[in-house]
Amino acid sequence: MKTRKNVKPTHYINYVVITVAAIVLGILSLVGALPASYQIILENIAIAITLAVSLSMVVGFLGELSLGHAGFMCVGAYLGGKVVYVLSPSIGEIPALLLGFVVGGILAAICGIIIGLPALRLRGDYLAIVTLAFGEIVWSLFMNSSEESFGGALGMPTVRIDKDYLFIIALVVVLICLAVTQNLIRSKHGRAITSIRDNEIAAKATGINVTKYKLAVFAISAFFAGVAGVLLASSNYTVQSQKFNYNYSIEILVMVVLGGMGNINGSIIAAALITFLDIKLQTVLTGELAVMQDLVYALILIVIVIYNNAPGLKAFREKYNFKNLLAKVIKDKNDPSHARDDEAKWDRVPTKIQMDEVLSVDVQVKSPYTPDKAEKGDN
Amino acid sequence: MEIIETIINGFSLGGTYAMIALGYTMVYGIAKMLNFAHGDIIMVGGYTLYVTLAGMGNPIMGLILAVLVCTLLGVTVEKVAYKPLRGASPLAVLITAIGVSYLLQSLAQIIFTSAPRMVYVGGQDGLGYVTIGDLKIQTHIIITLVCSVVIMVVLSLFVKYTKTGRAMIAVSEDKGAAQLMGINVNMIITITFAIGSALAAFAGFFMLMKSPSLTNTLGAMPGIKAFTAAVIGGIGSIPGAMLGGLFIGMIETVAQVVPGMGAYTIAIEFLVLIIVLLVRPTGILGKKRREKV
Amino acid sequence: MKSMFKKAFAVVLAAAMLLSLAACGSYTADNTEYVIGVSGPLTGPAAVYGVAVQNSAQMAIDEINAAGGLDGVNFKLVAVDDKHDATKVAANFTTLMEGGMQVSLGTVTTAPGLEFTKLSNDDKVFFLTPSASGDKIPEFDNGFQMCFADGNQGAVAANFVNGLGLNKIGIFYKSDDPYSKGIFDQFKANLNKDIETVETVFTAANETDFSAQITQLKDCDFIFMPIYYQPASVFMTQAKGVIKNNATYYGCDGFDGLAGQIDLATIPQEVSMLSHFDSNAKEGAAADFVKKYTDKFGAETLNQFGASAYDCVYAIYNAMKELKAAGKDIPVTITAEELYNLLEDHFTGDFSYSGVTGNDITWEDNGYVNKAAVKFTLKEADK
Repeated sequence: MKTRKNVKPTHYINYVVITVAAIVLGILSLVGALPASYQIILENIAIAITLAVSLSMVVGFLGELSLGHAGFMCVGAYLGGKVVYVLSPSIGEIPALLLGFVVGGILAAICGIIIGLPALRLRGDYLAIVTLAFGEIVWSLFMNSSEESFGGALGMPTVRIDKDYLFIIALVVVLICLAVTQNLIRSKHGRAITSIRDNEIAAKATGINVTKYKLAVFAISAFFAGVAGVLLASSNYTVQSQKFNYNYSIEILVMVVLGGMGNINGSIIAAALITFLDIKLQTVLTGELAVMQDLVYALILIVIVIYNNAPGLKAFREKYNFKNLLAKVIKDKNDPSHARDDEAKWDRVPTKIQMDEVLSVDVQVKSPYTPDKAEKGDN
Repeated sequence: MEIIETIINGFSLGGTYAMIALGYTMVYGIAKMLNFAHGDIIMVGGYTLYVTLAGMGNPIMGLILAVLVCTLLGVTVEKVAYKPLRGASPLAVLITAIGVSYLLQSLAQIIFTSAPRMVYVGGQDGLGYVTIGDLKIQTHIIITLVCSVVIMVVLSLFVKYTKTGRAMIAVSEDKGAAQLMGINVNMIITITFAIGSALAAFAGFFMLMKSPSLTNTLGAMPGIKAFTAAVIGGIGSIPGAMLGGLFIGMIETVAQVVPGMGAYTIAIEFLVLIIVLLVRPTGILGKKRREKV
Repeated sequence: MKSMFKKAFAVVLAAAMLLSLAACGSYTADNTEYVIGVSGPLTGPAAVYGVAVQNSAQMAIDEINAAGGLDGVNFKLVAVDDKHDATKVAANFTTLMEGGMQVSLGTVTTAPGLEFTKLSNDDKVFFLTPSASGDKIPEFDNGFQMCFADGNQGAVAANFVNGLGLNKIGIFYKSDDPYSKGIFDQFKANLNKDIETVETVFTAANETDFSAQITQLKDCDFIFMPIYYQPASVFMTQAKGVIKNNATYYGCDGFDGLAGQIDLATIPQEVSMLSHFDSNAKEGAAADFVKKYTDKFGAETLNQFGASAYDCVYAIYNAMKELKAAGKDIPVTITAEELYNLLEDHFTGDFSYSGVTGNDITWEDNGYVNKAAVKFTLKEADK
């Protein structure tokens, strides 16, 4: 990888923010000034960010819709969690946890490659449904495991790492995940990946090895999902497989979409806010108010998505966009480094997820298209 | 004998999935959005039926009202939550659909509590049996199958031979071109939602005819299965949705009959799905599309 | 999409901050009331059980407070939603602790309960769960159950079936539900090996159509169904005309609530259950409870979960009252751990409680409940 010339402070702002947060909160926690409930919120936020950033690689940068991210997480949580559980009495919790990350991540990555294979043949919604199917298969297999192996319906016992410092470890995982993802995306490999998203055939024509990149992205994304799974297992005393059903995958997808496709900082903020909101709604709306949780959540979700994406609100958005205002003050908007990586404009590039490509309607096509013969109006 | 019974049971389950998938595939194929709230519109239809049955006791009246309420709801949801996003990323619409789904489930729990309600479409004793030789076939299976075939045929004819139907095809093929041809794209999409939601009401009716227990999560899992069915059949293909639904129902039933496999039903079902898609990447009846450069 | 850090997010952030402030307002760490915490599914598919527990426990607490509380100190219930998801329990538990929880009803369901058990053991919080029936729920000294443990229920049911002299029975259970699976495993282990079994299962993903299972079970005269009443009501409705009319459906305490779901008179088969509570009770404490509950909340959410929760609150109250009478000091600001030490001793001692779900209920040292399981025949078979 060549050294980049256009290194801008904005490229590193997320590392700085997370590092500072980890240090400050870590000190607070160690002197006992951080309430336990906030430690747990932080653990969950770190897990959510890892999941959102890793899913964002597949959905945002590679442009394939994945509805089975929780499946990879499930693999990591069970297999990595098992490693931690078995080894921590002999080698100590922290070394076991680190080993668990490696094992859980690698095994999840292998699953990622297996699922990446159909991705070479399928596209759009057909791939989405295969990933969904994968996720459902994985958790239902763990659900039916024997009690001795993975606990079956009762779930598998895991080691709960002390909450005083688990969130710091989790934030370090987030930093590593960010470092890998951002460096990959900003390298020539990253440009190759986004070019596959924007036009696969053109990418092939320029000599990009589509197979290699697709599998690599699926593997890396699954690796971090697996690591996040180990984190989840280590923040609880049990893992229970029904947690990892399609609803969880969709929750992660919501974070990615809400954060803006291919916008890593957006994903981070969306993951943190959604997790915070979710836990706060859950613990504040107690008793008879509990039924209001989903109502509030749903309304917020709908309003934000419409506000952020509605073409009709574009003018309004641009007027009241503090990032634009900020950009005016801080830097020149025409700076080429600014638009290069994190801000691929999903709504403007035709991508595979726009379902036109895969749509089929049962109407008789009078003159089927053949590649040899140019079709009228086809350019 | 047992095999025949299993096949009939498979049709029974598949018929319901087919019915849901028909509604799904309409919206999916024409408005091109994964309407995750479709299952919840089924649930709303179910509660309408429940209220009508409690008030008037007439299931046909209940069906009519459910169709009206669902159609209205579908059109409203489309106007409020999906229409502002036309032209935005399809995934944004997917997220609002999920939001609408949570919203409807939550409202249903607030209004009707979390307690399951029993809805007897055919009276407490069900609709009885039709006996052919040694075989006893439950009447509701036959009604479900016949109705879904009729609906499938009517829909196919509607799409092929009416002006609105052809406009739908045009919109699904190319919105911009359709607009240039003088088609009111927004109107067509609204009509699609109206039809899809009306079909959801039918699906709710048939689901409750078989399984009378109604909760606010009635449509969630069948919704996902129907989505699977629609994909297996080939997205946007109306006979494909029917076929996909029956296929899924059949796999599920067979898996439950094989000893020791019952607990693995979901895994088997989705494994078969993956295999089918690997063999036919655009579903059973999906049209192969060449990529244009 | 550049336009991401937008005002909308700022609004959400502000809303979230407000919510967190509200959190500070609604709980008080220095208690002015005794705080009882519970975590249960208040939304989602299992919500009916959580809501029943919340309603009944609140009803018991309102009654106690109306009668003057414990020497003038009132009780307060804080019920938090866990959506039947174990990963939500840690946040619930810490929030409850920060809100001043002194004693708990644990969780409503078993899956999140496995997490709660260990968390509450770390912080030494006494809990008496109304309905988390997993065998491992009272794993530590601080955990007690008001319901029968699954394994025990399975073993008792197996002994009952062994005594019937049947050659062949059908079993219908839910393989991904710890309750159903737990009972089934022990039932199978204790069942006479000469009895032939036809085992059928379903999962949460296919709860609406049981025709495949019904077809397999149609030759059985006796069908054991360790499942909750909602799928049971669907099964019985769909099985009409396929399962023999003189067959018996036999369930465990999960069956309770059936009568509120379906008109059992229309089911031709016999329906019976082994349970600690019958919501059709016509006399005694159970009937009083049923009347009070239905007057207040309606019959839809009435089931044994609620009855058990009602008993849990009263059992804790009675124990605290007896402790006070015995000269123990229980100030309103007592910590959870201090109260745990008192209650744990008392519950494993000679404490006994009589209420809605049984008379002279005692607890074993390992936290399992000791009370009579009664066979209720909800409906006789049609002639």
